[in-house]
Amino acid sequence: MSGSPAVCLRVAQIDQVTAGVRQIVLQDPDGRRLPGYAPGSHLTVTAGGKRNAYSLTGSGIAPDDYRISVLRTRGGEGSGWLHDSLRVGDLLPVEGPRSAFPFELASTRSLLVAAGIGVTPILSHLRAARIWGRPVEVVYGYRPGAAAHLDEVRELAGPDLVEAPGRAALAQALLERLACQPWGTHAYACGPTAVLELFTATARDAGWPPVRLHVEHFQAPELAPGRPFAALLRRTGVQLAVPSGTSLLEAALDAGVDVPNLCRRGVCGQCLVPVAGGRVDHRDLVLDETERQAHTSMLACVSRAADDHLELDL
Amino acid sequence: MSDLSRLPWPFAPGETTFRYAVNVEPARRRIETPAGHWGEHVIDLGDDYLEQMSLRRELLARDPGRRQVLPHMEPACWDMLLFLLRELVATRPDAMHLSAEGRAFHWRNDLLGIEQAFVLGDATTLPTDPLTWIGCQVPDDVLMVSDRGGRLWFDAALVTWAAAWSVKFDVGMHLDEIHGPVPRLNEQGVTSRATRFMRSLTSDVVYRRVNWTFSAHGSPRRDISLETKPDWDADIPRLIRDGDWPRLQLRIELEHLTRLPLTGTLTFNIRTYMAPLGEIALIPEWRDQLAAVVAELPEDIAGYKGIAPYRDDVVAYLTGAARSAVA
Repeated sequence: MSGSPAVCLRVAQIDQVTAGVRQIVLQDPDGRRLPGYAPGSHLTVTAGGKRNAYSLTGSGIAPDDYRISVLRTRGGEGSGWLHDSLRVGDLLPVEGPRSAFPFELASTRSLLVAAGIGVTPILSHLRAARIWGRPVEVVYGYRPGAAAHLDEVRELAGPDLVEAPGRAALAQALLERLACQPWGTHAYACGPTAVLELFTATARDAGWPPVRLHVEHFQAPELAPGRPFAALLRRTGVQLAVPSGTSLLEAALDAGVDVPNLCRRGVCGQCLVPVAGGRVDHRDLVLDETERQAHTSMLACVSRAADDHLELDL
Repeated sequence: MSDLSRLPWPFAPGETTFRYAVNVEPARRRIETPAGHWGEHVIDLGDDYLEQMSLRRELLARDPGRRQVLPHMEPACWDMLLFLLRELVATRPDAMHLSAEGRAFHWRNDLLGIEQAFVLGDATTLPTDPLTWIGCQVPDDVLMVSDRGGRLWFDAALVTWAAAWSVKFDVGMHLDEIHGPVPRLNEQGVTSRATRFMRSLTSDVVYRRVNWTFSAHGSPRRDISLETKPDWDADIPRLIRDGDWPRLQLRIELEHLTRLPLTGTLTFNIRTYMAPLGEIALIPEWRDQLAAVVAELPEDIAGYKGIAPYRDDVVAYLTGAARSAVA
């Protein structure tokens, strides 16, 4: 079982946004209106036998269609299939929208940081901010000539845009813009892991409290396969053996134990399971420090036993 | 007679005890009861919709503070408005009509005689603020909770049927603070489990929960807010003195929980039902079950619900009613 059932949407339009990025416009095959969504939401798309999450680029308010922009990645079977095989008129299985990178309503101002294809959820936040009249500033780091949606970002952001062509320019822009935001600002960043680390470190040095920083990992860090461990499901008495390279989630699903799940990379939070005994090696991007140290819950898709066994309240 | 046929009876068949729990279940499921059925839709207009909506308008005119919206919650109010309009259509497609072209909507509520074109997010296109406008078309108290920094914050609401609490006092608190006075709730981890449950909610599902108490007024009036405490405070002592148990009202609150799609705001809408003991006593399954639950209720929970001083009388009345039914 996944978080929400897959539906098939019809590909209404395909645009080549840059040399490596394709925009795919999706509509309900029966012409029904699609549900609205929170800015920063993503769709999980099944393409070429792979499930991948792609950010929606619209405001989410009364959408006429769902738009995603897909970067062709090296060795990416899903993105390669979307670039080479998908045609207008095809039906594409999608799940969601899911909101995992939401806007903080109580903020008084937003600093939106995009790097590369990380511009997709930032564009969504920017559109929503303009509709609701929320103060916003955008930093967009890109490789010259390969900036997806640059014209739209320029038009929507107007004078509230700082363009940063290249990694050095982005580092400089972060240093400057994070240092001069008024109290009450929340900062949002989406991009490669290295840029998010730079963003977080720069913000921390500038004195930002962690609760005002929001990051969207579109490339989850590579995880080690981990050591084997045993998991006892207390309520059913089922004993699971979790080998190295297999996740607790996979072991549970293989044994017929139903655990809701979606991203399978420690980002969406769907497969949170209650822990009744043992210490957890947390490897997700969802739980906060207090939740980690409590050892009372874990994300079954990435986290493992810190020792050789765990007991779960399942 | 009040209408027991759509009463969301708060106890499962066979249950004879009550403790606070995260007793949530998926919404929009019809439940058959000895008196009828309930739960098919998120909104239940009831058989006194026009009267309740007129009462709510009067109450808001008298005390506009029953609507509390922290400044950042304006988009959440629009989100709620759209959610509730769609639920109204789902409940009464014959009488409720919504059409849309982009952000421009057209609404018709035939029961209340409302016809309105509006642009989502543009407050100048409605005759009142969005929360008041939608709040005067649904029987539920409308409550909005923000998911912020790992906590749930009560940031906006329109509440006219509060049971001995005040929306003005509670707005801006987080849920642990609000539930501080409820026995066993925080200590036994119910609040933290409820918080975890709420935070895991997504916008494609709606859950519901039923809560109950005895009303602090021996009439079907739903407004027993702290604001009006001087008006209702003497009623139950009088009822107890007179031994007028048939007049005591079982108050049932049906809550609907979901995450609104556009802003991620959580809903905690509450539909309040009243059923006098005198009528419950006519339905044997309910009468016997309520007697058992009240008899077993631990002292602290009975105290919080305010029924400790007269719980034995309630049990005696219900079992007496059972005996006379047999005789």
